[in-house]
Amino acid sequence: MDFGNFLAALTPLNLAVAMFGVVAGTLIGSIPGLTATMAVAVLVPISFSMAPETALILLGAIYTGAIYGGAYAAILLNTPGTPSAIATTFDGYPLAKQGKGDLAVAIACFSSVFGGLVGAFALLFLAPPLASVALAFGPVEYFWLSIFGLSLIASLSQGNLMMGLAGGALGMIMSTVGVAEISADIRLTFGSQTMISGFEVVGAMIGLYCIPVLIDMCSTGEKHLKITGDVAKMPILSAARITFNSKFNLIRSSIIGTLVGILPGAGGSVAGLVAYTEAKRTAKPHQKFGEGEPDGIIATESANNATVGGGFIPTLVLGIPGTPPDAVILGALMVQGVRTGPELFQSNGSIVYTFIYGLLIATVLMLPIGLIIGRYAYKSIVTIPKAVLVPTVGFMTIIGTYSIRNSVSDVVIMLCLGVFGWLISKYGFSASPIVLGLILGPIAEQGFVQAWTIGSAVNNLPGMFFGRPLSQAIIAFTLISLILPWYLNRKKSNKGGH
Amino acid sequence: MADLNTDTSTQSVNNTNKSSTRGSIVVASLLIIIGFITLYDAASYTDIDSKVFPQTSAIALILFSALAIAKQIMQPSIVSGIELGAWWRRIVLVGSMLLSCALMPYTGLLFACILTFAIGLIASMHDQWTQRKAMVYFLCGLSIIVCFYTLFKFVLHVPLP
Amino acid sequence: MIINKIAKHTAILTMAAAVSMSANSVYADSVNYIIPFGPGGESDISARMQQSFYKEKFGDDLIISYKPGGGGAAGWASLNGINGDGKTIMGINLPHIVIKPAQKDVGFTTEDIHTFYMFHYTPDAIVVKADSPYLSVQDLIDDAKANPGAVVMSGSGKASANNLAQIKFDKMTGIKTTYVSFKGTGASTVALLGDQVTAQWGYTTVGAKQGKAVRMLAVAMEERHPLFPDVPTFKELGYDMVGGAYRGIALPSSASAATVTEWSNRIGEINADPAFRQKMLNGGFALLDIGASQMAAFMKDRTAEYLLDARAAGLIK
Repeated sequence: MDFGNFLAALTPLNLAVAMFGVVAGTLIGSIPGLTATMAVAVLVPISFSMAPETALILLGAIYTGAIYGGAYAAILLNTPGTPSAIATTFDGYPLAKQGKGDLAVAIACFSSVFGGLVGAFALLFLAPPLASVALAFGPVEYFWLSIFGLSLIASLSQGNLMMGLAGGALGMIMSTVGVAEISADIRLTFGSQTMISGFEVVGAMIGLYCIPVLIDMCSTGEKHLKITGDVAKMPILSAARITFNSKFNLIRSSIIGTLVGILPGAGGSVAGLVAYTEAKRTAKPHQKFGEGEPDGIIATESANNATVGGGFIPTLVLGIPGTPPDAVILGALMVQGVRTGPELFQSNGSIVYTFIYGLLIATVLMLPIGLIIGRYAYKSIVTIPKAVLVPTVGFMTIIGTYSIRNSVSDVVIMLCLGVFGWLISKYGFSASPIVLGLILGPIAEQGFVQAWTIGSAVNNLPGMFFGRPLSQAIIAFTLISLILPWYLNRKKSNKGGH
Repeated sequence: MADLNTDTSTQSVNNTNKSSTRGSIVVASLLIIIGFITLYDAASYTDIDSKVFPQTSAIALILFSALAIAKQIMQPSIVSGIELGAWWRRIVLVGSMLLSCALMPYTGLLFACILTFAIGLIASMHDQWTQRKAMVYFLCGLSIIVCFYTLFKFVLHVPLP
Repeated sequence: MIINKIAKHTAILTMAAAVSMSANSVYADSVNYIIPFGPGGESDISARMQQSFYKEKFGDDLIISYKPGGGGAAGWASLNGINGDGKTIMGINLPHIVIKPAQKDVGFTTEDIHTFYMFHYTPDAIVVKADSPYLSVQDLIDDAKANPGAVVMSGSGKASANNLAQIKFDKMTGIKTTYVSFKGTGASTVALLGDQVTAQWGYTTVGAKQGKAVRMLAVAMEERHPLFPDVPTFKELGYDMVGGAYRGIALPSSASAATVTEWSNRIGEINADPAFRQKMLNGGFALLDIGASQMAAFMKDRTAEYLLDARAAGLIK
């Protein structure tokens, strides 16, 4: 951890690479259908001709930029640009509808930078102990974690609890379509070759979130988003003020994001959800989460960018990717001949530390870059006439969804889900529980089956599922989040009675 | 939750009239049917491991949907229903996107999407058409499409049809 | 006025498009290498290794794209629908392409896949943590005999190379171990390192990656792996087990014999490059050099062996 590595991160090449990475990542992440994983995978060949630490800085900068970029579409079009921005739609889009989209984008930028820095600092100072946390999470813990995630649906669907839970169950069923991971069965395809690959999460996400918005936009003539104030000027100061006034939320969400990022397989979407629910749980009475509360964006955006740094912990310490982009980055390192795995810190310490400093620098650079790009994104979406905006976004959904698995059928499925999502949203069912079920279903199923197999083998099923301290903590959290909406409703009706 | 209120800001929302509560009951019933289909399919799996999860989720789905129906009947909550708005526009927009999927394997993505854009433009245009507007809007879309196509195909190396 | 602004932006975009169109000529000769899995897995990594050597040897770009779905089935089912002009190749995996069609209708048959080169395999290996009480394979066998079913082993996938190895080994030694399937070798390694399971049916690549954190008890190779001179082979210990997950490349069935030969030679040349071989070995892979001319015999042997093992294991009828 010596100064030399820090200076190495500041060479003109590394700085340029960090800047390029953040710009490219932000732009790619903002397009629905292009995920952070794709952004990184696509630019891997460029990294071959670079030194390992420069390659790492490039890929890391792209990754963090992409996670931030997903917020644009989430806020302005109610479509998460990457799965990690799902929770940003909850309060981002309502804010935009109220004419405060530029504020929302600026808040997202500040929060993302803060969260990214927390994650990167955790990587710098706490990597080895935190990596052992990753190992403590076994199949049982993942199962309970996914149950916890699904219970978040309950607390998020306060008004329509049953409909929300039904949506979640539907999402879980959808996640089982195709070839089963855990056995050789083919499920719910009814003989169709197309459905053998199952529902692709990002395509389903785009369909369920974006298509309904497009259908609604084209059917009426009003402006899509209200404009208040001068479009050309970003309310940077007020955004900064709002963000940093919310210290507890900011720090807590960033820590949640870092911890969730450490768990291999969890990812930014789970982090955003958990952070959002925690923020909601500790909300002050005047705050209206779900209707444009800035704290909602602060929570989700800081959490999802914190997963970048957090995800690198198991990646660099254990050689096990924390998130899918980390897997790609590990591959790129292997091709470079760098020995990934536990010996990385020992044998290539200078590469690692230079990279971490580079990641920190890239995150800091994301502030000015993110605000500038955010301003243009906001301006263009708000001022483009609807007649051009709708077919353009429609085009992007097509090309974006196609690119995920190079499959036309994915696009058709996306459109069908879109129509379905539009219909059911008119009658009280919303997209988020379904997408949540789709994402968490496989984690829950695999965790359950694995835990069951191991527990049966050691003849201690109850002990397996309920006896481990980490699981017990997660179960406790789950119960709290389930009782919460019921309790809040009770409070509200009691208040109303007076 | 943000997306429960998908109405555009100025549309009148309070449709507690019978047809939208009926609508939500219909949707919930549809979900119950999906649950039963899942149970039926699950009976045919060979490995017991692969049955557990779909069966549990299906039962949960049926249970929650039934409870949702019960709640709607007893305490009808406000659902927005389908608001005013031109149906032909909605159908044309979705139809144009499906059309691009159908055409893509034959004409390539570029041409299919340009066609879709043109149709979508017509569907979304609420103002009066002028010659100038038509040209500018269409050219605008054309250049966006071409730009992104080259970005995806040649910079990101996505093998587009 | 908005119209003017749009017109201005349109002009800029059109110019940008024109510039990128001209850049397109640079990629006219590029080749598309489809991996039927998501990015970051072993198939992706070995393809990336090849990618880094391809450009300098043949001048064209080797572009890797992904088509995940159905554990590879989506990609393989679409293989023969692709143009056979030699500009598109697809990665293939054994035992997947043998076992999957034998179990269910997945949209392709083993004979549909025209593999032209098998360039490496990751040999099966039993991996335990460095602090495990098992110092040799015999220790594991003894423990399993004393406590049937209590030895829990993680592996990647069901009816996969790991699973087949576990079933075969159990049969050979007369023991009963419990196999827990994880999604990918990474996840099964995490389970091992976190003490969620007793041991892992993994590959030599795990040993290479994890280094001193793990110990390999045996590897399924003909001779010891150069990277691990102290780890015995199953054969030495008396168990006839050689194999693992094989990876190769295929062309659409419509490709001409000349195209097949050309590609076989190209991949063969990369495979023969000492720098490439060293990189692969350092990663724990084991190299193979089965080209187009020897492919038919190789596939016949492997297919028969896999189907036999899978039938004996009860995985297929």
